[in-house]
Amino acid sequence: MSGEIFNPAETASFAPETRPERASRRRPSSGQTIRLGSLAALVLVFVYFAYAAPGFTALGNLTNIVEQSAVLALLAFGMTAVIVGGGGDVIRGGIDLSLGANLGLCTAVYAVSSAAGYSDSVSVLLTFGAGIAVGALNGLAVVALGILPLLTTLAVMNICAGLELVLTQNTVISSSSPLLAWISSAAWLGLSITSWTFILTAALMLVLVHRTPWGLRLQAVGGHQQAARAAGLRLSLYLVATYMGAGLLAGLASILQAARLSGSSPGSGDILLSVVLTSLMSVVFSRRLAPSIGGTILSVLFIGGLINGFQLLNVSSYWVNGVQGVLILGIVSLRSLSRRPGSV
Amino acid sequence: MAEEPLALRGIVKTFGATRALDNANLVLQPGEIHGLIGQNGAGKSTMIKVLAGLCRPDAGTVGIGGTPLPHITPRAVEARGVHIIHQEALLPPSFTVAEALFLGKEPHHGPFLASRRMRKDAERIIAAQFDIAIRGDALIGELSAAERQIVQIIRALLNRPSVLVFDEPTAALVRQEANRLFAIIRRLSGEGTAIVYISHYLEEVRDLCDRVTILRNGRDVATVDSRQTPVAEMVALMINREISDMFPKQQVPRGAPVLSVRSLRQAGNFENVTFSLHAGEILGITGLLGSGAKDVLQALFGLSRVDGGTIEVRGKPVAIPSPGRAVAHRLGLVPEDRRHQGIAPDISVRENVTLASLFKLTRFGLISARRERQQVDGLIARLGIKTPSGETRLRDLSGGNQQKVVLAKWLSAESDVYILDEPTVAVDVAAKVEIYRLLGELAARGAAILILSSDLMELCGICDSILVMYRGRITRRLSPAETTADEILAAATGAPMIGVDPDAERPEAA
Repeated sequence: MSGEIFNPAETASFAPETRPERASRRRPSSGQTIRLGSLAALVLVFVYFAYAAPGFTALGNLTNIVEQSAVLALLAFGMTAVIVGGGGDVIRGGIDLSLGANLGLCTAVYAVSSAAGYSDSVSVLLTFGAGIAVGALNGLAVVALGILPLLTTLAVMNICAGLELVLTQNTVISSSSPLLAWISSAAWLGLSITSWTFILTAALMLVLVHRTPWGLRLQAVGGHQQAARAAGLRLSLYLVATYMGAGLLAGLASILQAARLSGSSPGSGDILLSVVLTSLMSVVFSRRLAPSIGGTILSVLFIGGLINGFQLLNVSSYWVNGVQGVLILGIVSLRSLSRRPGSV
Repeated sequence: MAEEPLALRGIVKTFGATRALDNANLVLQPGEIHGLIGQNGAGKSTMIKVLAGLCRPDAGTVGIGGTPLPHITPRAVEARGVHIIHQEALLPPSFTVAEALFLGKEPHHGPFLASRRMRKDAERIIAAQFDIAIRGDALIGELSAAERQIVQIIRALLNRPSVLVFDEPTAALVRQEANRLFAIIRRLSGEGTAIVYISHYLEEVRDLCDRVTILRNGRDVATVDSRQTPVAEMVALMINREISDMFPKQQVPRGAPVLSVRSLRQAGNFENVTFSLHAGEILGITGLLGSGAKDVLQALFGLSRVDGGTIEVRGKPVAIPSPGRAVAHRLGLVPEDRRHQGIAPDISVRENVTLASLFKLTRFGLISARRERQQVDGLIARLGIKTPSGETRLRDLSGGNQQKVVLAKWLSAESDVYILDEPTVAVDVAAKVEIYRLLGELAARGAAILILSSDLMELCGICDSILVMYRGRITRRLSPAETTADEILAAATGAPMIGVDPDAERPEAA
């Protein structure tokens, strides 16, 4: 090495030469491969159902899939926002296990409140308030007390489940308010209110997380804390916001749930596994291998299509749980493999 | 005369009993490129942490633009225009180039992100500043190390810095990329940005910098004009010449070759590595960060795969695809990161010692407590491990004694090839001497020892022979009797010497 490396002529001639070299030397993105593979799997499953399951592709059935997936979708959007903001690490990252129980609690709040004779607007406010309060509890415990989200939300899940039992005494509470009747009967352009709620929330979340500066910063907070700190962001505000947002979405979902069940019935918490699955699965539909709202939408439709297809094929719905478990294992292992240094 | 863009004065910083910085100074003149050099442990990284506001000095002032900062916090430092290009790029790997560049100051239309404009702006700025094409929507994780560094520099430039600090910027770069970086740094300097350039590569420092500050043992021993100071003189300033009789070296007759390595190659890390290690020999290996020396050690213990070449243990060609195979071939590794890789701190000394040799102590599949205790007590006595008993938790022992327990583990496994990675980092001087004595004893009993160290005095003191790696190749083999720490350091930093090709190619980065 000597002084000639600073020869301006050499430096100048060097730069243009590198352009083709750079382009050809770029590593093939493992994210792109995984994403295309996952999309192919999704298409394959749907093609199989279209071929094997009678009536799968009928317009009525497709809208049915959307409608039946709406509650799952709303919760999954909340979960995805929490994972985006908390980071994708399955153990230490963001996760909200209380979402299923929160849904149950909110449904119970609505059913009990409207059975007690309160008007719809009061009941809806109480329901949303309960959802947001649960989210705030999660957020504050994670941020202020520094407890792992996995443990915090596990504890809060139990609190919610307990409160639901206190409210309902573990019984079915039926309610028939004007709001529920409207949700069950009204339709616009052939789609129910429930489906529209899914679609509008999806659009809103898509824009919020992926098309605003706030969303970009949220991704930095979860994906790369050091970079976010270096950019001067206040991490805790973003975290608390995601948990409260998830709580609000649970409240919104609970109204749809109440409409579907005509009230509240025990066992809402069972949806948790599907919520975790769809949010984790959103990762494989993204080039960045990061959780995304778009990926969540695809995952929700994938799971919804799977359940629907199984029903049409007369496969026992008990199998769906097993399939979901296998998918979670597959996705989590795919991610840990692709993160191992030196692989792909 | 203009204000000093950056002035660290009288910085003192102690960690526990060690004084990392002891009245150190670093003062920049306007528009200059200022080098900062020193051996490992001289205090360079602490100096940067103090400057970055990541670590509060016990005494001293940090002045930026002529006035001292009242509170040294990361925010305050950045607000005054000092930006640090860290060795590890602080960029989110799942972000696109455009997003990473503008995070925190995103262009927007009302409440929405102006993604297209952000991408176009990013590409335009990169092309204008560095005359290369990087796609604005490429993911950071897909970029090469050099490209990531460019994105980091531009991110700093967007804040209109008055001082840019480069911390070992070329360690991960191939030669051409490094050359381009130098051109960039020169241009920034020409435009009036003051530059601090920290590097182990003294030739680079001499060619690039106007003045150089040399740190040794936490003090700035000199600030010299780099144009008029030969590299040899800088090396002499970096090295502590206090020779002590720390090294009780025994002369041991050299036995048969135990570990022979021929043309070993690992893409991007090292190539053409050939040496043999004999029974009774202590072979040193050294090199700077990125020289490949550490990678060779890891490959030998099966922690990473090699891409070519042969390894022979006791004359038989072997493959070492996993640490388990390495242990089966009676190799033992003493890793650098003792706390995470070398020991299990929460279990007892006894359990740590027998961890790699339990199968030898079992009877009918169960551990024989009596034989285990005998074995452990014997080793504790033999190595002089200072512990109340074999049942003491390992975390309660001192660093030097923990390191002896790691050695005892391999003795218990009857290993006779020891691979040591910086075995005396973070142990006190007395314990160091103990470890040297122990290594000498092991060698006298016929063990073969390969020791990687960046403490050059240590290598000269205990080794029979020293391999120096530079940019992925073994460039020198030196005998401690005929060499000095100066010469080793010069070889490791790539200073031109008779018999060495100074333009030895860097391996292509993977």
